[in-house]
Amino acid sequence: MNAIQQTFRLTTTAAALLAIFGPALADDAEVNELIKPESSVSIGVGNWSADRPQQGIYDGMRDKDAYGLLDADIVKRDDATGTWMKLKASNLGLDNREIKGEYLRQGNFGITLDYNRISRDNPNTFTTRLQGIGTTTQTVSTAALPGPLQTVSLGTVREGIGLGIYKNLLPGLDFTLSFKNEEKTGTRHWGRGGAPEFAVEPINSTIRQVEGTLSYSSKKLQLSGGYYGSWYDTKNTLVAMTNAGLPVSNANTTYLSLPLDNQAHQLFLNGGYSFTPTTRATVKLAYTHATQDEHLPTQDVAGLSLAGSPQSLKGEVNTTLVQLGLTSRPIKDLSLLANFRYFDVQDETPVARFVQGNPLSCVTPPNGNQCVDNTPFSYKTLTGKLEGTYRLTDVYRLTAGVEERRQDRAVPVSNSLGAGGADNQRVVPMRSKVDETTWRLELRRSMSETLNGSLAYLFSQRTGSSYLTVAGPGNSTTNGIGAPGPGNMINPLNIADRERNKLRFALDWTPVESLAFQLNVEQAIDDYEHGPDRPYGLTDGTSQLFSFDASYTMSEKWQVNAWYAYDHSRAKQRNSRANNGGDRLVVADVLDKRYDLQDTGNSLGIGVRGEVTPRVKMGADLQWSRNVSKYDQGLTVLAAGTQLLPAGFSSDLPNIENKLLRLSFFSTYALNKSSDLRVDLIHERWQTDDWSWSFANGTAFSYGTTTDGTTVTANPKQNATFVGLRYVYKFQ
Amino acid sequence: MFFSGAVVAADSPTATTKEAPKDLILKGDAKCTGCHDEADDSKPTMLDLRPSVLAIGKTKHGTVADSRTPTCTDCHGESEKHVKHKGSDKPPKADRTFGKNTKTSPEARNDACLSCHQGGKHMNWQSSVHASRDVTCTACHKVHAAHDKVREKATQAEVCFTCHKEQRAQVNRPSHHPIIEGKMTCTSCHDLHGDNPKSLTKASLNDTCYTCHMEKRGPFVHNHQPVTEDCGICHNPHGTTIANLLKSRPPFLCQECHNHDSHPGQVAGLPTAATTGSSTLGTVGRGCLNCHTNIHGGNSTQNSATAGRFRR
Repeated sequence: MNAIQQTFRLTTTAAALLAIFGPALADDAEVNELIKPESSVSIGVGNWSADRPQQGIYDGMRDKDAYGLLDADIVKRDDATGTWMKLKASNLGLDNREIKGEYLRQGNFGITLDYNRISRDNPNTFTTRLQGIGTTTQTVSTAALPGPLQTVSLGTVREGIGLGIYKNLLPGLDFTLSFKNEEKTGTRHWGRGGAPEFAVEPINSTIRQVEGTLSYSSKKLQLSGGYYGSWYDTKNTLVAMTNAGLPVSNANTTYLSLPLDNQAHQLFLNGGYSFTPTTRATVKLAYTHATQDEHLPTQDVAGLSLAGSPQSLKGEVNTTLVQLGLTSRPIKDLSLLANFRYFDVQDETPVARFVQGNPLSCVTPPNGNQCVDNTPFSYKTLTGKLEGTYRLTDVYRLTAGVEERRQDRAVPVSNSLGAGGADNQRVVPMRSKVDETTWRLELRRSMSETLNGSLAYLFSQRTGSSYLTVAGPGNSTTNGIGAPGPGNMINPLNIADRERNKLRFALDWTPVESLAFQLNVEQAIDDYEHGPDRPYGLTDGTSQLFSFDASYTMSEKWQVNAWYAYDHSRAKQRNSRANNGGDRLVVADVLDKRYDLQDTGNSLGIGVRGEVTPRVKMGADLQWSRNVSKYDQGLTVLAAGTQLLPAGFSSDLPNIENKLLRLSFFSTYALNKSSDLRVDLIHERWQTDDWSWSFANGTAFSYGTTTDGTTVTANPKQNATFVGLRYVYKFQ
Repeated sequence: MFFSGAVVAADSPTATTKEAPKDLILKGDAKCTGCHDEADDSKPTMLDLRPSVLAIGKTKHGTVADSRTPTCTDCHGESEKHVKHKGSDKPPKADRTFGKNTKTSPEARNDACLSCHQGGKHMNWQSSVHASRDVTCTACHKVHAAHDKVREKATQAEVCFTCHKEQRAQVNRPSHHPIIEGKMTCTSCHDLHGDNPKSLTKASLNDTCYTCHMEKRGPFVHNHQPVTEDCGICHNPHGTTIANLLKSRPPFLCQECHNHDSHPGQVAGLPTAATTGSSTLGTVGRGCLNCHTNIHGGNSTQNSATAGRFRR
């Protein structure tokens, strides 16, 4: 929601304060109040009247409880030396607290130290007999050996510590160093993998990042270069899930792999040179060497890996960036921008066989399906951009531009040990080249006192090379659709031929100085092209946005604003379903599916800020939003046959509606010149009929009959009220 | 008017003074603060400067011990006609003004800042999307304010939403990054002064996401292609109505690429009761990810038909 600038006329306030608190304000103090940094500390208590599993995911106040409210923003400056001392603390009484301290001798040396904690709670409640949650050995209950039923909450906590150092070495020459260490711990909803069963990912990892930069800046030349290193370090690498009563072993355990340690080292250099005040060139160079060469933990479990297969992936990804830019104003009314970018992400991990189900062959299905190599993907992207802006009149500018993007993509082909043809491992066809051209035209009106805005049109076209087909699992049958299998008959969304048209209109109207309106309208249409041999995938996409804002300054003491936004997106998609028997969804022939997916959002905000008396200020906000998702499916049997849905299954997906109403009010009362009392009132109503964790009849979802019957319960309706009271002390 | 008793009236530079005004904050600012002081603050044209035009003294620009700090005319120009105006009518504007109704070109406004701030993170400003759309430094930054909203964690998004309306709606959706909770800001991911694609802080979207989600960087024994290319293929980082910021929910999302036979081609729908049938569990719960749980990549070498399918 747009903020409303707080109305605060110092002259009036000061006069009022003088009247209220007496003539104690000396001239110097009055001047200092206006020009010296100010500090504040607030302490208080607040209470939520009910649990807020959805709205409290991140704010550290999920539960019905009382919370300490403690914040501080202390800023001190020694004017003689230009030395700042800052301490900023937020949410100290909450689970998502953070604190930052800074010492800065401006223009010379500075150091910052910060601590930041982000908690993220899963909004669902889990009732389970799974044992060992949070560890790498988890035991699944069985009917014979049921574990105790327990209710658990899942969530993660990030605790970060940051250090920043700044030093001016010479005039124009600065050195900066930043270091960040973030520990992430907790649990995440996972799956057992081998079957649709409940599991919990145990998280205990560290991310470290360090960046050192040397920057030089003069009037014409600027250079900045340095090193950026990043490390991921995890303490958990493999999870063993075993049914109760059985020993942990290859024979009766599902082993779930976890991401392994990885690291990257980058050298970078940025430069800019202004040939003239209106012509400037820039260059950006970076090289990154990233590796993942940790020992594979499955190698330590007897029978869990192919004899002779590598002990580690020896993963290596090298990334090169070269970017050149030129901006110029060759004549007064014309601005030009040219940009060339080479971005090459090369996965140079050696290809090796890690799984081979049949020792004799990896070529012909089904044996081919049982041979698995690692599959490195590489992308080399060249992007050229040219854009010009011409000033038509004092207020109108016209911009035209074109961007050409060409991408070479390395697609692994693992069949017959590299003999070519349809790939036995991949299940999705890919392209080795994808190109896209984007044209842009925009008319802008600016620098008018009352009416400004822009109208922009964008057209882009994406195409690529012929598809590299697949013969991996799921493509073993033609099922009357056509060789070599249904998997090849799709245009994957990220590489599909696509034509995009986009229109953007923005208007700012200020009829009088105290009143302003803003209107934004956007429309985008995507058309995915399909030939007769490739009919599946996204076919059409559209999106619309309408947004209207208004703000009114009623007086120097009262302001109000309001906004409304509507957005709509729609995706049409076509897929097939082939007959392959078993207990799966069966059709006698090929089922043609047409999806029509829609998301509609309506949002409204109203806010007011004001000064009731010189002592009393207040503000109030209303926020309302409603999002509706629709999932229409059209199912047609193409050839003769009957659609047979499996027993116990409904393909009728209801709409999902999410609604939020939030009313908030605050007021501050000036006890004296340096202290306030602040009251906060919030009423929040959240409602959803999301069926993600529901069976077709609306009851809470529980995992399948062969597992321990874990039930996942969502909280569809959450109404809660917050009352908070704080004492705020202000000083300089 | 209560602190500068020597100055009688603030509205007009024609105001008579009993003695030459002294600098209040910046070197040589008396030329301006002789007329422009806190009495300006209630003027409609000065609303953006609230709580006070003089609050620049509370900022780094107002820290005069740093010899690099500017004075008023470094940014606003010498403005001789404005300063020397006599008469009761409205004086001509300063050489460079930055308010809503300014007649100063965007380039001239930005030049005032870039004359000092061209280096470091602003090196590529001229080729940034914001610069090429005539967005000026002062469109986002309040140079005179003690607390520049766009540089404060709790208020930055409000500034960005002034233009980015779609994102304003998205961050309030059920699945979102902790932006409205003040734990992340737009600049956690975006560098508005730079010219990276989508104004990101890093050279690519994936590199930007890895700064917090480094476990996704891999490479893995089993890589999922779209994961290696662009996180944005499946996720909308600004917010969605589907868990984990997914743009579309399984199986619809997965079937944007996967059309093969067997259960991956299943119809979307809900089971009526607990089941283990994989063709009826692609929508409910985590959808396809109920089984394909390591969808961002796996490192299992277990000899199983599922080895390359992110199930272990």
